[in-house]
Amino acid sequence: MEQVNYVNEHLLPGQIGHFLILLSFVGGLLATLAYYFATQSQIKNLADGAVWKRIGRVSFITHGLSVIGVMGVIFFIMINKYYEYWYAYDHVSNNLSMRYIFSAFWEGQEGSFLLWMFWHVILGFVLIVKAKEWETSTLAVIALVQTFLASMILGLYFGPDDLKIGSNPLVLVRDVQNIPLFDNPNYIIQDGQGLTPLLQNYWMTIHPPTLFLGFASTIVPFAYAIAGLWTNQHKSWIKPMLPWALFSGAILGLGILMGGAWAYEALSFGGYWAWDPVENMSLVPWLVLVAGIHTALVSKNTGYSIKTTYLFMLLTFVMIVYSTFLTRSGVLGDTSVHAFTEMGLEWQLVIFLATFLILSIALLISRRKSIPSPKKEESAYSKEFWLFIGALVLIFSSVLITFTTSIPVYNKIATFFNANAEQLSPPTDVIAHYNKYQIWIAVMIGLLSSIAQFLRYKDAKGFASKYMKKATTHLVLAAIVAIIFTALATQVININAWQYTILMWASWFTIFANGDYLVSIIRGKIKIAASPIAHIGFGIMILGTMASGLNKDVISAKTLMNVDLIEGFAAEDAGENVLLRKNLPTQMGDYLVTYTNDTTKGQSRFFSINYKRYSDDKKLLEEFDLEPNILYDRQFSKIEASNPSTKHYVHRDIFTHISALPKAEMEPRFAKELEDSLKYLPYTISLGDTIQTQNYQVVFNGYNANPVNSYYRPKQGDVARGAKLMVQLANSDSSATWKAMPIMLRRGESQYEIADKIPELKFKVKFAAKHFEQERDLNYKEYRFKVGETATIGKYEVTYEGIEREIDRAKYGGVSETAIGARLKIVNTETGEDTIAVPIYYLDVERSQQFNIPEEIRSWGLKFQFASPDPKTESIQLFIADNLPTEEKIIVEIAENALHDYVVMQAIVFPGINLFWIGSLLMLLGLAMGMWQRRKAIVSADS
Amino acid sequence: MKTTHIVLIGVIAIAVGVLIMASGDMGTYETFAEAAKKEGTVKVVGYLSKDKPMEYNPEKDANSFSFYMSDESGAEKKVILKAAKPQDFEKSESIVLTGSIKGDTFVATDMLMKCPSKYVEEETRVKAAI
Repeated sequence: MEQVNYVNEHLLPGQIGHFLILLSFVGGLLATLAYYFATQSQIKNLADGAVWKRIGRVSFITHGLSVIGVMGVIFFIMINKYYEYWYAYDHVSNNLSMRYIFSAFWEGQEGSFLLWMFWHVILGFVLIVKAKEWETSTLAVIALVQTFLASMILGLYFGPDDLKIGSNPLVLVRDVQNIPLFDNPNYIIQDGQGLTPLLQNYWMTIHPPTLFLGFASTIVPFAYAIAGLWTNQHKSWIKPMLPWALFSGAILGLGILMGGAWAYEALSFGGYWAWDPVENMSLVPWLVLVAGIHTALVSKNTGYSIKTTYLFMLLTFVMIVYSTFLTRSGVLGDTSVHAFTEMGLEWQLVIFLATFLILSIALLISRRKSIPSPKKEESAYSKEFWLFIGALVLIFSSVLITFTTSIPVYNKIATFFNANAEQLSPPTDVIAHYNKYQIWIAVMIGLLSSIAQFLRYKDAKGFASKYMKKATTHLVLAAIVAIIFTALATQVININAWQYTILMWASWFTIFANGDYLVSIIRGKIKIAASPIAHIGFGIMILGTMASGLNKDVISAKTLMNVDLIEGFAAEDAGENVLLRKNLPTQMGDYLVTYTNDTTKGQSRFFSINYKRYSDDKKLLEEFDLEPNILYDRQFSKIEASNPSTKHYVHRDIFTHISALPKAEMEPRFAKELEDSLKYLPYTISLGDTIQTQNYQVVFNGYNANPVNSYYRPKQGDVARGAKLMVQLANSDSSATWKAMPIMLRRGESQYEIADKIPELKFKVKFAAKHFEQERDLNYKEYRFKVGETATIGKYEVTYEGIEREIDRAKYGGVSETAIGARLKIVNTETGEDTIAVPIYYLDVERSQQFNIPEEIRSWGLKFQFASPDPKTESIQLFIADNLPTEEKIIVEIAENALHDYVVMQAIVFPGINLFWIGSLLMLLGLAMGMWQRRKAIVSADS
Repeated sequence: MKTTHIVLIGVIAIAVGVLIMASGDMGTYETFAEAAKKEGTVKVVGYLSKDKPMEYNPEKDANSFSFYMSDESGAEKKVILKAAKPQDFEKSESIVLTGSIKGDTFVATDMLMKCPSKYVEEETRVKAAI
């Protein structure tokens, strides 16, 4: 192949980056080996341990700095927009704001792998400093994981089949593409593809780093578990591991919650949780981790459940890897909305998963005999027994979720063995499927977290003890209060199934039992308050999901139009979208909703949607505007994203998003086609008369000399005249009226007819060409007058009384200083009546053109035009017509069913959604408090 | 036998039972012909017939979008989705519909579309960017 020397490429950063990727891989591998030998030496008490440890540290630090360096290089390339690099080309564009550079970085798979590795590096550094005797063993595990992850971005090809190992983030576009462009050594790529608009959002800047820190942090409990098994220190690993597990629980939980918040605030699916496979697979590791935290507490306090704790902590990380496999291998393609697309690393991910699964199982089996467990079995009255049961329930929950989420995996496996294997599909109603099982899990968690809270470790006496009697009283009381509150709450929250009533009771029970425990048993001691606070949070969260989920009210499906007018209309048939015509209020649920306005800012178009709620006696109770927007692509040729807008109240949210627009606005190329297809019909309307069109009654109420309408804003120098039209619905009792004002405009030499529209009526009107022909039919005759002269026209005597210089500017647009009027006195010789007319003449100085504004005396059939003054002879030239029809008429063209000014939108009320957020945050706060206390306990034990 | 063991066996038994129940919710992907024979909602996988008309007229019904899809056996059918037309629908690679056959049409209550990865059509896109 011919070698081309490309001129405009910046190859140095790529070369540095490549080197750093290789270095990070090698460093990781070396650190794994060195820390492995260091640990082995530590176990066998050999002297060379210190050397290995030092090599391990140097290698891991080299690895860590390389990872950070690679990220730096990629950011450098992205910030400088070196589009010859695929990563910059694919994720950045010229108009991408720098604040989204982070989002762009982790939009790609390679970037998100690096983000994950970055957190592992930071956690590894912390462990090097803090983990003491656990450093070598835990770092060996972390380094091994890092080696696997680094291999994902290696981008090496092996063997005759070009087996791909890793996907290199620093490839050039010309490495990926083979197009004629690259025959040109001077090629420059001017712009990149940019970041998906859905990700151009501040949530996308903070959600992935938090979630990935959550993912990454599960490696610490995992590393401690492996280390404990490896070095046979089955009891002592738990204490230093516990604060890390709690940290991980809090951060991973926060990451998942932010994902929900992002979906709710920025995406248009209307909710925070949809049981999507990607969501599920981030929840499952968290559930397993929380189960592990509970059994770890048992192990630490009683010595029971050590094996289980091992199992759960190992499983947490394995599930993280499984989740990575599912979301990144492309397996989920058919079942999830937001899985990554494949990048050819499926087998590498499978090996990654298999390695850690087999390592975990092998270690557990080989050490099963040496893991201690008390001979005496747990008492059924002890805390440890019920904590264990609770942990099992959590595991059960995650097994169920994983079972259904893994359907595509079963299909892949089946296809692997038999290419024609029948493909299983997920349940047709996924949400109902998950909910119907998970509500019982939630009920059990609620019960267990309340009862176990009151129990004590190693309590075998049961009801014989005084404490137990007291605890029972408290619990029974909490159960009764919960019944009362359930009864009260069902007045507000509509519960449609008995299962939910039980769940509601369980939530209240959790809140009251744990609250009571917090107040009356531990008396608010903040040190040990973590667990009741987390459990109260759980109870509140479940209440929130019920309030917002069960009572989620798609008010856009409940419009008068949809429900009341159609006979036999079943509510469940109602679609969730409603069409709102501009300025035509529509009742949705309790709200009167009006689309009032739209404004374009940059590539976004914001729609003002006005919500009003009235009391029964028509008093305005509340009013607010929401501004959902849509984002056009750079050419304004299509819509890229629709961003919702939500009104937040303490007790509920009102969520709105635009689901469609008129075709002409979805794709502006249809706009002309649409105007061309309008069907205008001509109508003649006399002043003050009402005419009937297909759907409307139209009244002509005279002219306006200073007209403004939906298409016309006055400009200096314009001479415009608008016809005042009043429009009413024909065949309707409604007395509502609308106004329209078609305009004739003279701007400079040109004459325009400007249409007007009434969007909510789909009504469009403009002057017809025929209207101007009326003028042509007048029999103007020329007259010359000097001051005081009189002419006789039929029965009228017209006398020129002189020039008027004070002319109302409004009459002629007000630009010219030279406007003058000819004051005419007209006498009807038959009746003796007289009147004054002042036709206007003016000179447009700028254009040096003469214009005149005629004056009419309708009832006498006269029309005067002041054609020009003649300063020399002090005479004026007038044109006078005497056959003006006495009835003033306009001829207009009206199009009906023609206008498409509307939005199709969805509006959903989420009651009590804040309970969900508050409850979740409280739960995470409990985890964080637990971490803080455990951490403090370790520090004080050390000192 | 320890109490925990009994509990464990109990939990496993319940788990197996529930999993069997849960797997009852799963179905298989059907073709239109099979869907016509079944009661209730099913899932059908297929591809958008790009040469056939797509219709979404919100002024008539904001919740009805019709198009033609051919299933995996190649049979083509008109589909009515009871929702607004999704963005970028024309670009969809494959479609998974949830719904049921009603007369001549398949009425879908839910639809998942798989859009091509960013990597397809990239040649034209690179050209456009230069």
